[in-house]
Amino acid sequence: MLEVRHVTKAFFPRTINEKIALRDISLTLQSGDFATIIGSNGAGKSTLLNVVAGRYRPDLGSVWIDDDDVTRLPDYRVARKVGRVFQDPMAGTSPHLTIEENLAIAWARNRGRGLRLGVSHARREQFREELKILELGLENRLTARVGLLSGGQRQALSLVMAAFTQPRILLLDEHTAALDPQRAALITRLTKQMVERYELTAMMVTHNMEQALTLGNRLLMMHEGQIIFELHDEAKKKATTADLMAEFEKLKGVQLSDRTLLA
Amino acid sequence: MITAIDLGLIFGLMALGVYLTFRVLDFADLTIDGSFTTGAATAATLIVAGWQPMVATLAGTALGLVAGFITGALNTWGKIHPLLAGILTQISLYSINLRIMGKANVPLLRSTTLFTPLRERGLLGTWVSVGILALVLGLFVIALVWFLSTDIGLALRATGDNEGMARAQSVNTGAMTLLGLSLSNGLVALSGALFAQYQGYADIGMGIGLIVAGLASVIIGTAIITNGRIWITVAAVVFGSIVYRLIIQAALTIPWFDPNDMKLLSAVIVVTALLLPRWDVFNRIRARSRDKQSVFDPWGDPDPEEVDSGDARPPSTGIVKKVKRADA
Repeated sequence: MLEVRHVTKAFFPRTINEKIALRDISLTLQSGDFATIIGSNGAGKSTLLNVVAGRYRPDLGSVWIDDDDVTRLPDYRVARKVGRVFQDPMAGTSPHLTIEENLAIAWARNRGRGLRLGVSHARREQFREELKILELGLENRLTARVGLLSGGQRQALSLVMAAFTQPRILLLDEHTAALDPQRAALITRLTKQMVERYELTAMMVTHNMEQALTLGNRLLMMHEGQIIFELHDEAKKKATTADLMAEFEKLKGVQLSDRTLLA
Repeated sequence: MITAIDLGLIFGLMALGVYLTFRVLDFADLTIDGSFTTGAATAATLIVAGWQPMVATLAGTALGLVAGFITGALNTWGKIHPLLAGILTQISLYSINLRIMGKANVPLLRSTTLFTPLRERGLLGTWVSVGILALVLGLFVIALVWFLSTDIGLALRATGDNEGMARAQSVNTGAMTLLGLSLSNGLVALSGALFAQYQGYADIGMGIGLIVAGLASVIIGTAIITNGRIWITVAAVVFGSIVYRLIIQAALTIPWFDPNDMKLLSAVIVVTALLLPRWDVFNRIRARSRDKQSVFDPWGDPDPEEVDSGDARPPSTGIVKKVKRADA
């Protein structure tokens, strides 16, 4: 379970460049919730994910995972409970290590690290099983260096690495945005499979409204650091891209009236 | 020539340390110029004071570990640039080394050292000493490869390879930097302690420019033997250290050169080793032998599609900073 309580985060505070990325955001995800987040650029979507992951420390408010306050923990400590997939396919894997070594690093994420061999026989079999789900043939290339894989393959591997340790929270930051439509569809399908298979609690940022509607049971729309629109289970199933566009249009209306007022 | 192999093996420990920081951790650590002398100074002083040579050697190694830890602390906690952190520790160690020795030179002539049994039998600089040193180095190579394959070792490698990824996988990258630098400088100090006993004295200037020799060993080794497998790479570094000593010795037989030209020579060797791969010399030689054998080599030059994928850059350009670690 994830709880974000009244979080505010500003960049370059008290300077002329001050940018308030999150304004008093509160959000609760129950176990098994899968929330998709949409919103225009600069809405604070990625900042929210980074605050949850411990990369950014909020100026106000707190973040709770399973009733533990993780607000002040460094990001690598939070990572024991949180799996992440980044937008850049190169960011989530280590290029000079082999596929199995990358998986071994992920395996140890929530189990702690000691002086046991990273890739033992038993673990290798487990890794092979995990990779079979991808149907990319990676299970036969366990000793290949990850730098030799294509972007789509690396992103699929990142996804497995983030998910197979069954983190309490899975964070997906536009993880299909840098891929071609075909690969993006593949990763989207795999995401759905992974979340269902491991019964994960997940948050996904996306610019693809189609994807935001088909995946998950909750949808959040963000604008200027606030959650301005939410859809739950049934309502989300019924909603269409047109409905979301209409919500976006409303925002533009607001901006217009603001400007008219100022004028 | 056999003496050169002896030296190559002793300095091989130092090269392993340099490999650990430069390649594995991607941290340009200049501490080793100082920590090498620290290991030598401590071991020599303690041996003269009547300590067991083995204990004295271990004490020198321990001080090396501490020196590496300090550089790591300056970098991770003090956020000081790696180069500057290394230089600061190195320059402080110069004074500390003088304090340890009390003078600029400590001779070990009449003391019992680890090499005394060999020296008395006249076996130093023969194949016997080479065999024994090779055995010791073999053990260190095995230990290092094993360490780099454990969960902690993998975390260490990930820290140098993709720090953001490492942190997202709950690796405490700061702790890994501290660990890597400590181990590296421990190895370097051990190398220094052994070298002092081998040559029969410790000297305040013995570590100057050593980083160049270390780099040369790593570069030569990994340029001659390019293979992604970690144990081959680690062994190649020791091999590179021997090749480097042989080159130095061969160069010193040229009439006009004398030992004072060593540092200039070593710099020239490193420059050559850095430039040759850029001009594709090694690759052309290898390609020629590959054509002869026409064996399928999955780790050879990646095809354009693999290059597109981001990180499979041709190994020929993989030595200098622009491209990180074509091996490992």
